[in-house]
Amino acid sequence: MRRAPDIAVESLVKQFGAQRALDNVSFRVAEGELFTLLGPSGCGKSTTLMSIAGFQTPEDGRIEVGGDVFFDAARRLSVPAERRNLGIVFQSYAVWPHMTVFQNLAFPLKVRKTKRGAIHERVLEVLDLVEMGDYAARYPHQLSGGQQQRVALARALVYSPSVLLLDEPFSNLDAKLRERARAWVKELQIRLGLTTIFVTHDQDEALSMSDRVAVMSSGEIQQIGTPEAIYRRPSNRFVAEFVGRVNLLSGTVAAAERGRVALELADGRKLWVDAEHTATPNAQLTLAVRPEALRVEAADASTLNGSNTLEARVESVAFLGDHYQYELRAGDLALTAQTARAVAGERVKVHIPADACAIVD
Amino acid sequence: MTSTVYEAAAPLRRKRSLPTAGTLQWLTWIVVVGLILGPFIPLLYASVRDRPLYEGGGVFTLSAYGDLFADPAFWRAARHTLEYAALTTAMSVVAGAAVAILVARTDLPGRKLFGRLTLLPLLLPSLGLVLGWIVVWGPGGYLSSLVQQHLHLGTLDINTIPGMSVIEATRLLPVAYMTCEAALARADSSLEDAARSAGATPLRVLRNVTVPMLRPALLNSGTLIFTLSLASLGIPLLLGTPHNIQFVSTYLYLQWTNAATPDSPLVSAGATLLLGVATLLLLLRNRLLGAEARYVSVAGKAGRTALLSLRAWRWPLAVLIALYLLFSTVVPVLGLALMSFVAFLTPLVAPWHLFTWSNWQLLGSGVYLRSIEHSALLALAGGIATTALVALATLVAHRSRLPVRRSLPFVMLYPRAIPGLIIGIGFFWAYLLTGAPGSWLRQGIWGILLAFCIRNLPFAYVVMYPTMARIGEELDRAGRSVGAGWWRTCRSIVLPLLRPALFASFVLMFVEILNDYDPALFLVRPGTEVIGTTMLDTFLQGIVGPVASLAMVQVGVTMIVLAIGTFVFKIRVTGGHESDE
Repeated sequence: MRRAPDIAVESLVKQFGAQRALDNVSFRVAEGELFTLLGPSGCGKSTTLMSIAGFQTPEDGRIEVGGDVFFDAARRLSVPAERRNLGIVFQSYAVWPHMTVFQNLAFPLKVRKTKRGAIHERVLEVLDLVEMGDYAARYPHQLSGGQQQRVALARALVYSPSVLLLDEPFSNLDAKLRERARAWVKELQIRLGLTTIFVTHDQDEALSMSDRVAVMSSGEIQQIGTPEAIYRRPSNRFVAEFVGRVNLLSGTVAAAERGRVALELADGRKLWVDAEHTATPNAQLTLAVRPEALRVEAADASTLNGSNTLEARVESVAFLGDHYQYELRAGDLALTAQTARAVAGERVKVHIPADACAIVD
Repeated sequence: MTSTVYEAAAPLRRKRSLPTAGTLQWLTWIVVVGLILGPFIPLLYASVRDRPLYEGGGVFTLSAYGDLFADPAFWRAARHTLEYAALTTAMSVVAGAAVAILVARTDLPGRKLFGRLTLLPLLLPSLGLVLGWIVVWGPGGYLSSLVQQHLHLGTLDINTIPGMSVIEATRLLPVAYMTCEAALARADSSLEDAARSAGATPLRVLRNVTVPMLRPALLNSGTLIFTLSLASLGIPLLLGTPHNIQFVSTYLYLQWTNAATPDSPLVSAGATLLLGVATLLLLLRNRLLGAEARYVSVAGKAGRTALLSLRAWRWPLAVLIALYLLFSTVVPVLGLALMSFVAFLTPLVAPWHLFTWSNWQLLGSGVYLRSIEHSALLALAGGIATTALVALATLVAHRSRLPVRRSLPFVMLYPRAIPGLIIGIGFFWAYLLTGAPGSWLRQGIWGILLAFCIRNLPFAYVVMYPTMARIGEELDRAGRSVGAGWWRTCRSIVLPLLRPALFASFVLMFVEILNDYDPALFLVRPGTEVIGTTMLDTFLQGIVGPVASLAMVQVGVTMIVLAIGTFVFKIRVTGGHESDE
């Protein structure tokens, strides 16, 4: 099998008027990896993707794919989009409405001057790959959204591009279809061993599909890591808040030992946190802890005691099908907790595990 | 996945084909900008020389402007022109907006049909319509005589400035109608619903919501109509000149054609002044359009347009509009038709006693036949050429990354605001100064064609742009991403999707070029006549019959082409097109 190349993006800078769309964006994608750019709209994820595709020209930086330099501001070099040989699935799918499914797939091959017979063979082969073999003669308007998306993907694969770029490909599908499509695309990506960059604003999509995720905000990469690392060890407040629900606890450092930090909250209570932190005493810190990491027990239960356990009052409970969500108050502290089972009583005990906290500020 | 599948496709060939996309884009830009703005340079130059450009030598001087300002006839003409343009603008904007509101927002019976018919004067040959007016409503005209005879009432004297501006207003009313109708179609009618539910009566809603919402459209179309009527030539020439009412346009035209030795620097200076005024008004209009953004209601997709009920006024208003359309458009055309079949038209003798084929038989020979042949050829060639050029320019303007692309929309819309006679004079000087190619263009009909194409090219852009804007940019990005270059993407993806607009543009260009005449007045020479110039010439010689049959040829061909366009290509001329100017 041909080696799928790696991608290196170095210090991209792009300015839209007074607004900085990309601020020193750098990352590397290993061969065969599915790398996700995750962030709210306007964070620069699509601009980054379109810069790699060649539809945006950054002011500064460098883009290299498999050893080929696509863009280098220093050398004033920019390979035109059509010579980059990348497969792209657009948000709107961009399936050409005046061509049949077959013609849509044949066009990239015609551009490459492939012989008629070879085009026919290859198009049908790829259509089978996306399970659309029966639809070759249809026009796009005769297809459902999910089918159009498959055609778009097939068209991006038909000329065997080195890299696949996916720009929010699932955002136009309904919730059920979206889940199926995710699994299916992921499976295909692994099977073909394609180096893939995926852009989304949906954290579930990012976490479930990616090998690694880059969280972006206002033109900057906030954190790059595996889905677990991003979720469990957010490196800053933005990442913690954007990827899932989170409790943020602020306080000052009361003590620091090897691998452990004691945080004194505003009301004087102390929390021990597992963290390699070189904080000096009295420094301000903020902790992030996920609602499902909190352990909630009835007030009279004896299983929870000792450090990092707070008494709290239940302000509200919501039943959300697969879990319960508690809004709790412990003194000045408001906490959100998730539990699998309901906890009886107005007053509860909450335990904050030392290993579930991440220092985000 | 086996490796054979993954590697089946051939690698992307890197054949460098010439010309590259960049070259093609620059070339398009240079041709479009050169052809549109180019002719104004010699015009300006001619206005600051002390003698005509075709006489060698000469020095720089502003004396032509001095002469112009010193001539009391010019000032009289300027006053008449302003009066005429102001009256025309007021009448056509008020009436156009009223019709637009009635059609778009009320339960007027037959409003869709009225909407379509209101646009007719824009598409029918304007010179023919004016002649029809003269035949029917002129002094001694068919209907004005009838009315005088039987009702002992005077009709509006169309040989006065108010009379002429009524005719001009009926011709330009569609411009106001289209702009207002498009604005109303874009505006969310739930804004009006909200006012209704807040307790406002329909009339109150009209006054406090609908009309204020139309303000940018009124200003925009008003400015355009003012510009167009400032430089109108046909009506002043046919109706004003015989009664010694001079306008700036006729003043310049007569200086050019009638004087024993035409004072060409003076005419050029006058044309330059008009060009300056028209350009200023266009810039003003662009600023107004910029200000329009705040009137755009975002959620314009509301399905059903709520109707204000007219109640008892429904039928009276419908009858009023029907009568207006009847007397302003249908009757003049019928008058022309009748005229073309009689020896002379008079209410005193029944027309069948005066029946003759001779007006039509004349069309089969001489200058008449030549004009028809020329016009047909120009309309066909011009329709194709303009559509092709504008398609290319629209692609460059909206689908390329050429650094200067943003100048193209403005440049392409520029001729719309430029009087036809200025374009004519500009091209006259341009041909004179460009040596052999210029003189070749000047000798034949192709020089006229070029002027017609440039004059009418804004319509092609106005038809094409909205369709282009609706073709999602991801569609051509997808083309680029799979390896097709700019031109290949345009050819295989954008242009096929643009096809309906290309047909519409061709049909519109065909009709406009067929019926155009005023730029040709300065370029025509014996042997290169087109229908419009022949009609004007013949009419000014006092011969009416063949002019009527020529006008009927224009009307007939226009109607047939539009009908084919409508039914075969599903073309609809709607307000949306003009609104994007």
